[in-house]
Amino acid sequence: MTKSTFSSSDAASPSASPVSRRTVLKTLAAGTAGALAAPYIRPAYAAPTQLRALMWEVYAVPDIVGAFEEKHKIKFSPTFFDGNSEAYNKLRVGGSRDFDLVQADGFWPGLYFREKLIRDIDYAKIPNTANVYPVFKPDRFKLLTDEASGKHFGVTWCWGSYGTTYNAGEVPKEKVESIEVLFDPAFSGRLATSARFEENIALTGILAATRLGTKDKPRPDGKSFNPYVLTDEELAEVEKLLIQQKPLLLTRYQDNTTLQQLLESGAIVAAPEFAQVYRVLVQKKDKGEISADFSHQLVPKEGGLGWVDTWLVTTGVTDPATLDICHDFMNTFLAPENIKKISLIAGSSATVDLRSISTPEEQKLFLMDRTEELSSMYMFDQPSSTEKWERVWSRVQAA
Amino acid sequence: MKPRVAPAIFLGIPTVFLVGLFVLPLLSMLVLSVWRTENYHIIRDFSFHNYEVLATEGAYMTFLLRSLVMASAVSLICTLLAWPIAYGITLYGGRYKLLFSLAFAVPFLTGEVLRIIALQGLLGPLGLLNGVLLSLGAAPLRVIMYTNVASAIGLVYLYLPIVVTVIYLSLLNFDQRLIDAATIFGASPARAFFEVTWPLNLFGTLIGFALCFIPCLSATLAPRFLGGPNGTLYGMAMAQQFGESGTWALGAAMGVVLFAVSVLLVVGVARLIDLRRTGFTGFGRG
Repeated sequence: MTKSTFSSSDAASPSASPVSRRTVLKTLAAGTAGALAAPYIRPAYAAPTQLRALMWEVYAVPDIVGAFEEKHKIKFSPTFFDGNSEAYNKLRVGGSRDFDLVQADGFWPGLYFREKLIRDIDYAKIPNTANVYPVFKPDRFKLLTDEASGKHFGVTWCWGSYGTTYNAGEVPKEKVESIEVLFDPAFSGRLATSARFEENIALTGILAATRLGTKDKPRPDGKSFNPYVLTDEELAEVEKLLIQQKPLLLTRYQDNTTLQQLLESGAIVAAPEFAQVYRVLVQKKDKGEISADFSHQLVPKEGGLGWVDTWLVTTGVTDPATLDICHDFMNTFLAPENIKKISLIAGSSATVDLRSISTPEEQKLFLMDRTEELSSMYMFDQPSSTEKWERVWSRVQAA
Repeated sequence: MKPRVAPAIFLGIPTVFLVGLFVLPLLSMLVLSVWRTENYHIIRDFSFHNYEVLATEGAYMTFLLRSLVMASAVSLICTLLAWPIAYGITLYGGRYKLLFSLAFAVPFLTGEVLRIIALQGLLGPLGLLNGVLLSLGAAPLRVIMYTNVASAIGLVYLYLPIVVTVIYLSLLNFDQRLIDAATIFGASPARAFFEVTWPLNLFGTLIGFALCFIPCLSATLAPRFLGGPNGTLYGMAMAQQFGESGTWALGAAMGVVLFAVSVLLVVGVARLIDLRRTGFTGFGRG
């Protein structure tokens, strides 16, 4: 016990202490204000105490995050989102100061950069970017480079297509090689598509343009065909096709678990998806848990949709110390042993070449020899007019 | 002055709460509805374009009509089911009345999403019902897999406890001796019910109906997870505007229309019914 140097009589006597009530109140007020403001005030180059990420939940692998926290004595604080538009809203509403890192795919990184929500990054500080397949290097994968300045603003780490997973015993391979399989009355009531309106319209847009013969003709914008930039005529054809497709669908699935159950139970025989469910089903088959054979058509003959997930750094990161941590986080994420672990958990193909540390089965399952096919896919993009696309989708849903 | 302090506090707090968390958001929704969106950007141009779209694009009217039919059907089913349940508890619950009424609150201990996903599992192709049918060699019941019937089952499951609780509370405050009086004077049990019990509990029944009808009108989760390709309801379409399509201004206009329709329906019912003859005691004795 520590003995007090003040006696109670000292404290009680007003004349014994020069401290007035006003001074005490002032001190308390200043202390309170200081305590409230403390979290927002720090020296410009102080070591950061936390790293805030806006990301998909499945990729927050505890082992990897925990090791990173231990290495940097930092707290990793993730906020999860379901779709890019939700992340975009969060970034815009909260401002980029609420997050240090953000995940996105398709055209979204470019949109974020144009709107100054994310900043440029230095690949030299992320040495593991050297291990990505050639198709994901900046000279070929242009979606993460600003055309005007040549600055890079993101790193890729996993990819996939929106191909068709099908029950090989029920659907002939020659049929599934075309998008037409999703509109084939022979499979009425035994088909499903995802609930994502952009991909439903874009994939059907490829088929519509193929049927109309407009896919390989000169486009109004002078560019090559992009299923996210459809003409009014093509959109009208898409609407017609999607309405015709409705009676053939059992449902539009909301999540992978539902899709897995539908395929596993035999309730449906084919559905477009990101190959994640296909991988789960193949692994279950290998373990003898299911008897049906499932296959995946990566790119239909008319053309298919593809996506690449990326890590980005927000413009809220201004001090070099936090930027270094962000660079190191992305580098850690891309380390072969880590990205393999993430791939296995999330069921997604890595952009990093993992063939030297993967079994032949894993190489086949995770399409490690098929990354070049990405170049034949149309990347997920922003619809040319979300308003027009929304009307089409509403009319399809109401029909 | 002193007697005026308590009402000011007791009515002031809910008023501040309502203004802050209901009126202001509704006003902001109203403002947003007269702006427009363009590729995920809000353009602050004043116009009634969104309301024109809602009035001229048949799809949104279809969603609203579907929702009105669904909400009416579900509320009617809930009321028809809730009455015998609540009446049974009142008459035969004995000392377990409280336990029975609390039992109806148990589903609320879990989230709505969890309950709907559980129901999706139950009604789905691998669910309990179809699982039994398949194991017996029968065909699965497609009518409960991703259809409007499945949505209706989900909504009844979600809102039945509320309707039962409200009708039960109404019956609990109903003086049962009035039925005895009616039967003593020669009324049959059926006549006593329709001329005494039913009219004097009509207000409670209407409250139960409304507490089911209004959330059903804006239901999002049940049609999304259970409804299938033809099951899009107004609330689900509205949520879509704030989600993936990013057409927030149109979504705000849909919200304003939904609010107006709900208010009109409540006012319409209130005008059709003489509250003094429904067991409503809020007017006082004067």
